[in-house]
Amino acid sequence: MSARRAIALLSLVGLFVALYLTLYHVGVIGQLSCSVGSCETVQTSKYAVFLGVPVAELGLAAYIVLLAMSLMGTQPRWEASAALSRALAAFSGAGFLFSLWLTYLELFVISAICQWCVISAILMTLIFGASLVDVRRQMSDVRAGP
Amino acid sequence: MAKERGRRVNVVKSSRGSQRNFLLGLGAIALAGIIFLSFKAWEGKNAAAATIDAPVATPAEAKPYVLGKPDAPVLVTEFADFECPGCSQFATVTEPDVRKRLVDEGKIRYQFVDFPLEMHFNTIPASNAAACADDQGKFWEMHDALFNGQPDWNGQATRKPKDKFKEYAKATGMNVDQWEKCFDAQTHMTRVMGNHAMALKQGIQQTPSFIIGNRKVIGAISYDKFKSYVDSAAVDALAKPVVAPSDGEKRIPLDSAKKRSPGT
Repeated sequence: MSARRAIALLSLVGLFVALYLTLYHVGVIGQLSCSVGSCETVQTSKYAVFLGVPVAELGLAAYIVLLAMSLMGTQPRWEASAALSRALAAFSGAGFLFSLWLTYLELFVISAICQWCVISAILMTLIFGASLVDVRRQMSDVRAGP
Repeated sequence: MAKERGRRVNVVKSSRGSQRNFLLGLGAIALAGIIFLSFKAWEGKNAAAATIDAPVATPAEAKPYVLGKPDAPVLVTEFADFECPGCSQFATVTEPDVRKRLVDEGKIRYQFVDFPLEMHFNTIPASNAAACADDQGKFWEMHDALFNGQPDWNGQATRKPKDKFKEYAKATGMNVDQWEKCFDAQTHMTRVMGNHAMALKQGIQQTPSFIIGNRKVIGAISYDKFKSYVDSAAVDALAKPVVAPSDGEKRIPLDSAKKRSPGT
């Protein structure tokens, strides 16, 4: 399976995780409440909102963009595009760094771990890894020539 | 030549096959995701409230803040933390309707029990501020001001919330000096901690939690949901009416009956 297809599959999983957290944040799924430990502490902390936007919604937007980019990359027209590979790596790299920062906050500032946030962080790491594989493949293809 | 054509056909076939697998994979993930979200939404809507079998004794220091008529058929107890966003949501979105349509109409008696959570930095000072407001009969005014202004005084906004609380005391028409003296001396901390102990005894773990009749309900629920629990508790109350003793018949409380020896 190509790296781009792997990114598409992982992004779709991430999209549902972020959608679940978004629906929870707005109260559609479950009831908003405060308790000691677990996801509620994380979701109701001040760090659940970044620059006025809920982090869950940022994640949702990021996974939608990654899914769209990777699906585009599986089409014959874009298959050989090195620019798309670099864009995927840059975007997922930013997502990876953001996830790293959020995990740091969970562990050392909020002192609570939200399993769904951890799943999202793992997915973003895998996507970033796959995007690096894709960049390497594109570079070796360019070197090898048509 | 024929061999090469065959190889090309094979490459095209395997590429089509892997494309089909890829699409199948995407479809399977999408289906699983939709099923998962639908299940979670269904689970949230149908989460049954736990029933409390036997009433739990209240610690002596606990003294909830009460609203409504003493003879209202249903007792509702709210366990809340002034700094919890879920409690603020309930207090500002649902509670006005609860007071107007249920408390004022004599359908429920409503009591508030402090359950300050450790993770909230300013929640105990907030409970302290509300307890001092109660001295001047302004608990509910302070309660509303605290929940309405939560983002202005919570642990993220400040580490010294007293100035905001003082503003609320002034705005709600209290004698500010008297309130401040009480606040600084932490006069009612025993009450606050007694209420906290009452919540723990009831097995409360998160806020807001409610005991409506004999059902324990968790979360910032909507008015409709709240009302349905009240209706159900009212039916329970009707099903178990307190039987008034008939003329000439004297009921003896079980305790005193036990104390009497057979010879008396």
